[in-house]
Amino acid sequence: MAEKRKYKKRYCKYCEAKVDFMDYKDAGALRFSLSERYKIMPRRLTGNCKRHQDMIAVVIKRARAAALVPYTVTRKAVVTAPFENLK
Amino acid sequence: MRNYENLVIVKPTLTAEEIQASVKAIEEVITSNGGEIAATSPMGMRKLAYPIDKNERGYYHVIYSSITPSAISEIERRFRINEDLLRFVTIKYDTNREIAAFNTMVEKAKKAAEAPAKVETPVVETPATEAPVAEEAPAVETEAPVATEAAAE
Ligand SMILES: [Zn+2]
Repeated sequence: MAEKRKYKKRYCKYCEAKVDFMDYKDAGALRFSLSERYKIMPRRLTGNCKRHQDMIAVVIKRARAAALVPYTVTRKAVVTAPFENLK
Repeated sequence: MRNYENLVIVKPTLTAEEIQASVKAIEEVITSNGGEIAATSPMGMRKLAYPIDKNERGYYHVIYSSITPSAISEIERRFRINEDLLRFVTIKYDTNREIAAFNTMVEKAKKAAEAPAKVETPVVETPATEAPVAEEAPAVETEAPVATEAAAE
């Protein structure tokens, strides 16, 4: 569902918030750029600019290594617990 | 000297004292290799996003420090040998922007270490008073999404 969510007006959320640095430990902030299955959302859907997409991709991969964000999610886990562990 | 952040996940099967001893030993590995610890921030026991060595939970501890780059490989080698660690992540803070972020995180960690009790008690009290008010509120439809978001978080 999240992957077909409509993103009508395309603008970079992070530019608007003037984000200069993202912390990988703040997993809740990464939610906007993750799909329901914790895939990194493509830029064409989120409207992120190139600069911030590059930043978020690095940060998400760090968070995955630190077990703050899962690499993959099984079909069962998608139904039972969407974003339950991200605070 | 360069700024680094070491995140370590300690095994949850240890007792609280053993975890503290293990964290101490980890910090000592950094200091003995010429690192200067700027701040530490315990994130505490939390659920892992995926099981590591069949462990569902882990004790997170973050160490901000400045270390000579050549010492990092030795520190990571020692981490790899350490059986108490499930995982470690070392992040380098090199560019001006990253260093500025590093300094703010160090300040935040220091403040949290100074007054943990003072911050926590008012936070616990306020939701207890707010929660019944939200339930009594007549605007159920507008309140509902807010309530579910709060529950999810
Ligand atoms: Zn942007």
